Amino acid sequence: MSRPAIVRRTAALLLGLALVSTACSSGSDTLTVYSGRTENLIGPLLADFTEQTGVEVEVRYGNSADLALLISEEGDRTPADVFISQSPGAIGFLGEAGLLGTIDENVLELVDPSFRSSSGSWVGLSGRVRVLVYNEDLIDGPLPESVFELTSPDYEGRVGLAPANGSFQDFVTAMREVHGDDVTLAWLEGMEANDAQTYTNNTAIVQAVGRGEVPMGLVNHYYNFRAQLEDPAIASENHYFADGDIGSLLIATAAGVLDGSEAQAEADQLLAFLLGETAQTFFSEETLEYPLAAGVAASAALPPLDTLNAATYDFDRLGGGLERTRELIDASGLEAP
Amino acid sequence: MRLRPLSAAAGVVGVLFLFPVGYLLIRTVTLGTDFGDILLSRATVQPLANSLAIAGGTALLAGILGTALAFLINRTELPGRRVLRWVLALPLVIPSFVGATAVLAAFGPGALVGFVPRFQGFWGALAILTLLTYPYVYLPVLSRLTSTAASLEDAARLLGDSPQQAIRKVVFPQTRGAISAGMLLVFLYGLSDFGAVSLMRFDTITRVIFASQLSNRSVSLTLGLVLALVALAVAAVNRWLPARRPPIATTGTRQIRYSLGRATLPVLIGVLAVVGVSLVAPIAVFVIWIVRGSATVGVGYSGLGDSVGFLGAPILGSAAAAVLAALAAVIVTLPVAYGSARRRSVLTESAGAAVTSLFALPGLVIAISLAFWAIRAPQPLAGLYQTLPLLILGYVLHFGAQALGPAQAAISAVPDRFDEAARTLGAGWWRRFRTVELPLIRPGLLAGAGLVLLSTLKELPATLILAPIGYETLATRIWGAAEDGFYAEVGITSLVLIVLSALLTWPLLIRRQILS
Repeated sequence: MSRPAIVRRTAALLLGLALVSTACSSGSDTLTVYSGRTENLIGPLLADFTEQTGVEVEVRYGNSADLALLISEEGDRTPADVFISQSPGAIGFLGEAGLLGTIDENVLELVDPSFRSSSGSWVGLSGRVRVLVYNEDLIDGPLPESVFELTSPDYEGRVGLAPANGSFQDFVTAMREVHGDDVTLAWLEGMEANDAQTYTNNTAIVQAVGRGEVPMGLVNHYYNFRAQLEDPAIASENHYFADGDIGSLLIATAAGVLDGSEAQAEADQLLAFLLGETAQTFFSEETLEYPLAAGVAASAALPPLDTLNAATYDFDRLGGGLERTRELIDASGLEAP
Repeated sequence: MRLRPLSAAAGVVGVLFLFPVGYLLIRTVTLGTDFGDILLSRATVQPLANSLAIAGGTALLAGILGTALAFLINRTELPGRRVLRWVLALPLVIPSFVGATAVLAAFGPGALVGFVPRFQGFWGALAILTLLTYPYVYLPVLSRLTSTAASLEDAARLLGDSPQQAIRKVVFPQTRGAISAGMLLVFLYGLSDFGAVSLMRFDTITRVIFASQLSNRSVSLTLGLVLALVALAVAAVNRWLPARRPPIATTGTRQIRYSLGRATLPVLIGVLAVVGVSLVAPIAVFVIWIVRGSATVGVGYSGLGDSVGFLGAPILGSAAAAVLAALAAVIVTLPVAYGSARRRSVLTESAGAAVTSLFALPGLVIAISLAFWAIRAPQPLAGLYQTLPLLILGYVLHFGAQALGPAQAAISAVPDRFDEAARTLGAGWWRRFRTVELPLIRPGLLAGAGLVLLSTLKELPATLILAPIGYETLATRIWGAAEDGFYAEVGITSLVLIVLSALLTWPLLIRRQILS
């Protein structure tokens, strides 16, 4: 076979492979989901849903904020029917932009009102608690009772944060709701003055704490459980702030239906499934998050939900106000390492 | 003046590459952005200065390292050079956030090798980016050296020059164009990087772009525009610099290799150290992650037993996307390379600067801009949204610069008189291109294709945003696993990615004459 023939055949083969691997069904019983939850954390559930209902689910996985941005640029032409977000910030952004429709009343009522939008634009699926992850080899004294203690000289240069990360921003927004902008800005400035160590995201902080690079850091509880599964010898542990402290905020991962979706009924059906017993048990047992519906109990590895005082915050307003939160973080000077 | 077809084609390509900047302009203007306010704020100036510092520093170091490695492999009797010349290209395929995570896990207090300082801040980012990007210089210079036969050096040696003098006075000038083209790529990559710099905790403009993308669109878009304009300016200056003497055509294929003498061992240790930190250390960390995590994996698809099966589709997806993107990028940028090398004009140079500048934009910005244009396009173009052709276009726009540089250098090196001779003999343009020019410029085209191929294999944001729904690549798999701390899965997928890139670059870079 001459060289051009090889080239032609290889090209044809590759094109064929590409077409085969992209061929997707286009039946009417198809739901398009943009998911900020990664495939590991939701893929098996979506497969179960298809098996149970016959509704095909096509998923675009990505970073929650990136996908929210994409939907906002797509506008009413978005192919997405459902958006699943890792954090209230990204889905709140779409809610404020008027791109989310209203979820069916019966679906909304599956979740406690504190974990859904009061306008019905999104529902919480699972919960993640903010914690102080610490290196047990480097800490031998009492750990702080409140996140506000971290501005004291005892913690100078010893706390890691991820100010550019969505979950930290949601936490700051919640602090503004509860304690006001002045207290929040003072705390942010206090952390900056106390030489807080900035990292890019939760996993980077947990790894840094595990190595002993920084003795403790503010993250979501989930990441240290995952790190311990991957490396049983890792020296990092979660510390939960005392009852009612804003430092132990529970942040919901959330889902909403796009306003222009022509598959509203199937979308509501999917949300109901994700709030049902199968899915909530998966969140509790497999991903070690707090289940928010169907009476499923949280894993014994986690402190009980009612000790966290999380349910008192208005999560709908938590989603909004991202811009002001960013202004405060920028003003505090916390960002630059 | 009549516009020649070649210039017209170059102009069309240039316009295509301006669409992402057009999006940034439209959006910033419609948002009523106060440019001055954003540009002069404290929150912009320092990160921008940091970006320029890290990009410039990396370009310089990668320029030196990549050039030195290419000369050692091609012009000396370095032991193991046959394997090394191939292995040295591979660090380019490691996504920077994975490389940085692995290097953090490998070196420093509390890491695998605990007695060395930790990589962090400016110097850490500089080291990691240099080790991951020197192939942008190494490959084009190697390709240039391969096309430079011994006749020049023979002449220099006959006139009494030592081997060092011959290299410095005769061979090195032949590679200057390739070195500066490669360094430009490294500089632009340094501007666009977020993964490595953010893990090294070095604050750059990309952090501001991403941190404000939802909360303050004006800031995010304006700074994207700033990055594009800086890149355009640098690319334009690079193009309008006084044209150097074109490389001298050499005849024959014989090449001289010099003995390193007593320096052989220290030099070999140095080269192996580069491979050690940029490739072996990450691979060792991947293996540890796999071994350590395999006993306890339990969630989702991360079971190691499933890994081989579930990686089938991503392997095909990665291979198809990378090969198609490499071919498309070479073909699309060829008119610009040709126009610029043969009929340099303001139009061809502007098109070249446009093509080059897009490599400095974060992939996400390019992807969102393409989404913006495609979804608003009239039918049937809008039907291309989130299909494979649009994804390939995204790769071509982002990585076209990598195909353009080596192609232009290769075309410049073909003397006009060959073309004139063929023309005198009555050959049409297609025949002249196919039988005279193509065989001579093929090494340059392949070098460019190789760079685009490796870059596409690790590309992430454009793939996540623009790929047909359900289309997976190894890079998207790695991202998904890394996002939630599934390190065993990151490890195995990264190993497969390195093996795949090795297999794909083998025929491209080794079997063909480019590196042989």
